[in-house]
Amino acid sequence: MNLSNSSISEINKLYKNKELKPSEVYEEVFNNAALSESIIHAHLKLFQEEGIAASKLSDARFAKGKQLSQLDGIPIAIKDNINLKNHETTCSSKMLSNYISPYDATVISKLRNSGVVFTGKTNLDEFAMGSSTENSAFGPTKNPWNPQHVPGGSSGGSAAVVSVGSALASLGSDTGGSIRQPASFCGVVGFKPTYGTVSRYGLVAFASSLDQIGPITNSVEDAKIIFNSIKGHDPLDSTSIADTSIEIPDDKTAKVGVIKELMEDGISDESKNEVEKTIKLLEDQGNKVVEVSLPLTKVALSIYYLIAPAECSANLSRFDGVRYGSREFGETSYQMMENTRAQGFGEEVKKRILLGTYALSAGYYDAYYGQALKARSLITKDFENIFKDVDYLISPTTPTPAFKFGEKTENPLEMYMSDLCTIPANLAGLPAISIPTGLSSENMPLSVQLMSPARTDSSLLKFSEKLENLISFDQRTSLLKEMK
Amino acid sequence: MNMIPTIGMETHVELNTNSKMFCNCPVVETEDPNISLCPTCLGLPGALPVPNLKAIESITMLALSANCSITNNGMFHRKNYFYPDLPKNYQISQFDLPVGVNGSLEIILDEGIETVEIERVHMEEDTGKSKHKGSGRIDSATSTLLDFNRSGVPLVEIVTKPVIKSSKEAVSYIEELRQLVIDLGISEGKLEKGNLRFDANISVAKEGDKELGVKVEIKNMNSLRSLEKAIDFEIKRQTKLIESNEEIIQETRHWDEDKEVTSSMRSKEGSADYRYFSDPDLPNMILTDEFINNIKKEIPTLPSDKRKKLIDTGLSMSESNHLGKSEVWIYDLYLDTQKLTNDCKTTYNLITGELQGQLRKAEIENLPEWVNSERLSEIITMINDNKISFTSGKEVLTNLIQNEINPTDFAESNNLIQENDFDEISKIVKDVFEANKEVVQRIKDGEEKLVGFLVGQIIKSSGGNINPSIAKDLLLKEL
Repeated sequence: MNLSNSSISEINKLYKNKELKPSEVYEEVFNNAALSESIIHAHLKLFQEEGIAASKLSDARFAKGKQLSQLDGIPIAIKDNINLKNHETTCSSKMLSNYISPYDATVISKLRNSGVVFTGKTNLDEFAMGSSTENSAFGPTKNPWNPQHVPGGSSGGSAAVVSVGSALASLGSDTGGSIRQPASFCGVVGFKPTYGTVSRYGLVAFASSLDQIGPITNSVEDAKIIFNSIKGHDPLDSTSIADTSIEIPDDKTAKVGVIKELMEDGISDESKNEVEKTIKLLEDQGNKVVEVSLPLTKVALSIYYLIAPAECSANLSRFDGVRYGSREFGETSYQMMENTRAQGFGEEVKKRILLGTYALSAGYYDAYYGQALKARSLITKDFENIFKDVDYLISPTTPTPAFKFGEKTENPLEMYMSDLCTIPANLAGLPAISIPTGLSSENMPLSVQLMSPARTDSSLLKFSEKLENLISFDQRTSLLKEMK
Repeated sequence: MNMIPTIGMETHVELNTNSKMFCNCPVVETEDPNISLCPTCLGLPGALPVPNLKAIESITMLALSANCSITNNGMFHRKNYFYPDLPKNYQISQFDLPVGVNGSLEIILDEGIETVEIERVHMEEDTGKSKHKGSGRIDSATSTLLDFNRSGVPLVEIVTKPVIKSSKEAVSYIEELRQLVIDLGISEGKLEKGNLRFDANISVAKEGDKELGVKVEIKNMNSLRSLEKAIDFEIKRQTKLIESNEEIIQETRHWDEDKEVTSSMRSKEGSADYRYFSDPDLPNMILTDEFINNIKKEIPTLPSDKRKKLIDTGLSMSESNHLGKSEVWIYDLYLDTQKLTNDCKTTYNLITGELQGQLRKAEIENLPEWVNSERLSEIITMINDNKISFTSGKEVLTNLIQNEINPTDFAESNNLIQENDFDEISKIVKDVFEANKEVVQRIKDGEEKLVGFLVGQIIKSSGGNINPSIAKDLLLKEL
């Protein structure tokens, strides 16, 4: 069997039956990494020795029949903007290339206590700003389906490692689509939970009111298992919410809304086609599908590109060379800070800091940031109203399949457009999941996105599992096939 | 032409909470740098703030005590500026929705009570401390040492409206505020430790002008003395400029303690745009009516209420102000004793002057429990009933502090009771007259200063137990 594409629950069963050992699985994913890394560059760092040691401890637990959780002995990769104690957290930035975190993020503590084996840290667009990993200071990650194509971003490394089997699952962070878009590009499942359900403590902030950690996995079931182990109120994160999952009744068939504005111009026929195919599958099962309109989705991108840069302009102020990270020489403290920031940040990060600084400046605040906040609350309200009528919403995850390297680097607006379908869920704080459905004419994966009301994450995952079972999608990439 | 100065004060008070504003690090008082730190107060990547409830309670208590309206649905804002000792390069503060607005504080002047209007009371986190080497200023320092122990310590900022008219008023306002935070138990209130730090906004306008003059902010005043001097200097400086038709620049000026002058720090044009926006890491600061009412219940008697109570017992404004600022036990002891004696002056003098002085002299820190209002009132009543002199009263008190005695028994057994019997005293007076006929004659001839001599003789022949004023009265009558 192909272990790295097996589900977490299957592997756990094999562990418990002593038919398989965590160290064997770790060896396999590590070998996959050894084979694939030179081609796709998805891990920034592999914790080889530490991984072997952790998997052997897990072996011992299973030998005694004392597993810590269903995730015990499961190799998981971590996006390199999430802190793991005594390891680098680089955020794919020159600024933090030498930064070692003295503490674990809350999600890491939770996974550690569940017995997870960490494979390493994965590549991303610098400080999670980008849609292709082309903004990584350490070079881009390649799409395992075709290395000429981008893996998406910003969690491109986390999506690629799952796709190529160098980890069984990974954690990413999603501010405007950074989990779902790369998951879609790499043909895996990406889940962004309701804002606040997973603690952000230890996630290097990009835009605090939008950032959310979530899993990238081979299946919806795997996403559910990881989500259940990392969710919950965290006293260290004042914006985290108590675990009050609201249920959408599932005794009957569901009512699903297709967002009209995300099936119009700007969306490729191939992406629309996947949604239409999926609608048919849902209808065949007796679910009702209706068209709904969310006019503000057309301005979601504009709102996002005021709010996210504004928050990032303050969040990234702390990187000044004073206490940690890289430091450039300067005659005075201020010159040192200026030089450090000028040298340490890449172009896209600087662009967004400037944009956000401008949007918050005296005289411009009301026209830009203030307006964006108002529009954001309107979008949230629109979603609330629509969810009075439908249980779930469906749309493409991305307007197109994965594009080629360099294709959009010259035109930032086009690059930003690749998050068109994913951004609204971040603005409204809703749970959203990307599920792979098929391949494009160029044999690149395509996906659909499902959204549901805030705090209905469990129902969304349940419904997604049902949908996933209706779809036959072969997740194995050509790279993986070659490797075997 | 008359010039009218207008002053507004911005004061930062360091709260005395156990832990910092947004993390669990203890608030420490030490010269050892960087010993109380964590990812949050050091601004490490990924760290998040969690508000300190105790600090918010303290700030709410201060805002209520300063008669502010409380904002039920408040917010934390980020104030953005770069400085090496500000770890996140933004300070979590409050902007348009502070804890309290539109309050007032009573201050005491020689002329009476004045009210200073308070614009706002809000929360802030403190910065770290910088030591610039090779020069006092960041721009010319060869190196800078940073200590982040203070980073994240909770502060409350109190901003007055521009209503203060003189340096004396400003000093009195700070004294009042200091007393208030000490009485509320929310700060140590020590100026020398930087528990209270203040800036003054000063403008001067010609009498009759409808608008205020150009505002100049003065920083770096470390004591009440420097506050008074800096304001006086600045008023004079601005007055001179106006009189010679020169422009006053809106700027921040630095008080130079040694030279006793203010000098320009930076002009307002070049000043920072703080780009305030609500902190997305923190939910709104919801202060429910229940929360506010619970805090109201915990507010102790305020300085202004204490003053009112003391004035009601018959003390003067300055006596009330003085006693009101004393420690709570002195204040309480006075009120309890006064209730028993129904007298204010002797009670005040014996307790604030004698008792406190004697305790200090004897180096007794805690008042012995037997020195209570009942025993003190016995002494005071004996004095007021002319049974003993004030001097004898002091003697009884000295012994009371040392031993658990009964003041009346002590006065009696130590021969301190004065002779108040008119017949007895008249007899003594007559005897003294007989013995000093010549002196009596000289007094009758106009040498009035000899009266004292006769009083002395009377007291002497009575063995010192005669009430001098009664003796004098009788003597004059006899003459």
